[in-house]
Amino acid sequence: MTNNHLTDETLQAFLLKESQDDAVAAHLSACAECREKLENYQRLVAGMQKMAPESFAFDVTTVVMDKVVRYERQKKRMQELVFWGLLSILIIVIIAFSIPFLSQIRAVFTAIPVFTMLLIIGTGLVVLLFLIVDLNTQYKRKAEKIFQNKLQPIR
Amino acid sequence: MKHMSNESGRFSDKVIVTNILNGNIQDFAVVVTQTEKLVAQIVRKMTTNADDQKDLVQDIYLKVYQNLPSFQFKSKLSTWIANIAYNTTVRYLQKKKIPIIGMEETTESKFIATEDAEFDTIKTEAVDILTKEIDQLPPLYKTLITLYHLEELPNKEIAEITNLPEGTIKSYLYRARKMLKDNVNHHYKNR
Ligand SMILES: [Zn+2]
Repeated sequence: MTNNHLTDETLQAFLLKESQDDAVAAHLSACAECREKLENYQRLVAGMQKMAPESFAFDVTTVVMDKVVRYERQKKRMQELVFWGLLSILIIVIIAFSIPFLSQIRAVFTAIPVFTMLLIIGTGLVVLLFLIVDLNTQYKRKAEKIFQNKLQPIR
Repeated sequence: MKHMSNESGRFSDKVIVTNILNGNIQDFAVVVTQTEKLVAQIVRKMTTNADDQKDLVQDIYLKVYQNLPSFQFKSKLSTWIANIAYNTTVRYLQKKKIPIIGMEETTESKFIATEDAEFDTIKTEAVDILTKEIDQLPPLYKTLITLYHLEELPNKEIAEITNLPEGTIKSYLYRARKMLKDNVNHHYKNR
């Protein structure tokens, strides 16, 4: 028995109560060498629990929230950029396609009576007005959402 | 956090994540405050450069923020964040070509080479000796020892954080403790 000393693994498992073995306890009560080893481990574990936990040299919340808010702003700016980019491409495409028909469009206006032309222009203006109103409400809703989110970094 | 029961912990995790996803960005600061200590035990134990640590912490929490919609609540939020912290730190160490385990022989011989020059054993307190000896350990061992003994996390949770099998963590911990015990003993014998 005494020739067969306990391994470090066995000692650690016994100390940390990962295994309960009567043979280990029996050997320990009989063997001073293994007892000393166990005491070393006991001291080690107690020491490790007493160590000061690590902390950062900077304020983590400030640093992180700065980064996150910057990321959110960038994302929003990107979305706006994509929106306006697509809109301008659409407008350019429409203009490009309508160039060959320019003279025909002018012919339409000269051919129809004044009253019909006014009717067409009036309808167009009403549609445009509705579009502007809709755009405005959407903008307001978004602004409100941003206000609720309090997108400002905390100081 | 540690004393919070699992169920109420999960519940408050859900409340806070829902709030953030609904656009209350400031609630993310609460998550940061609750988890920064755990993240520090990983980042500060595994890396040494202070500037890099700042970048790492920002990277880690931005990843957390970006991936929050895909968080499944299968683990505690803090465990999930610690896992992101661990993976990000390991990738950083790989980029720097710093081994996370290293050869045991190298660590031990490094210890022998520096002990006389660096430590004044007579004046050094036991805790200081231990702290210095832990610093000599490979990055992964350092974190495992801290998570187990200081944060008192169960093996299962450490496994979730490090993506390592529980058996591997156990044997790494055994080896780390043996190295620490031998090296600390070495100090006292050389007195
Ligand atoms: Zn023995």
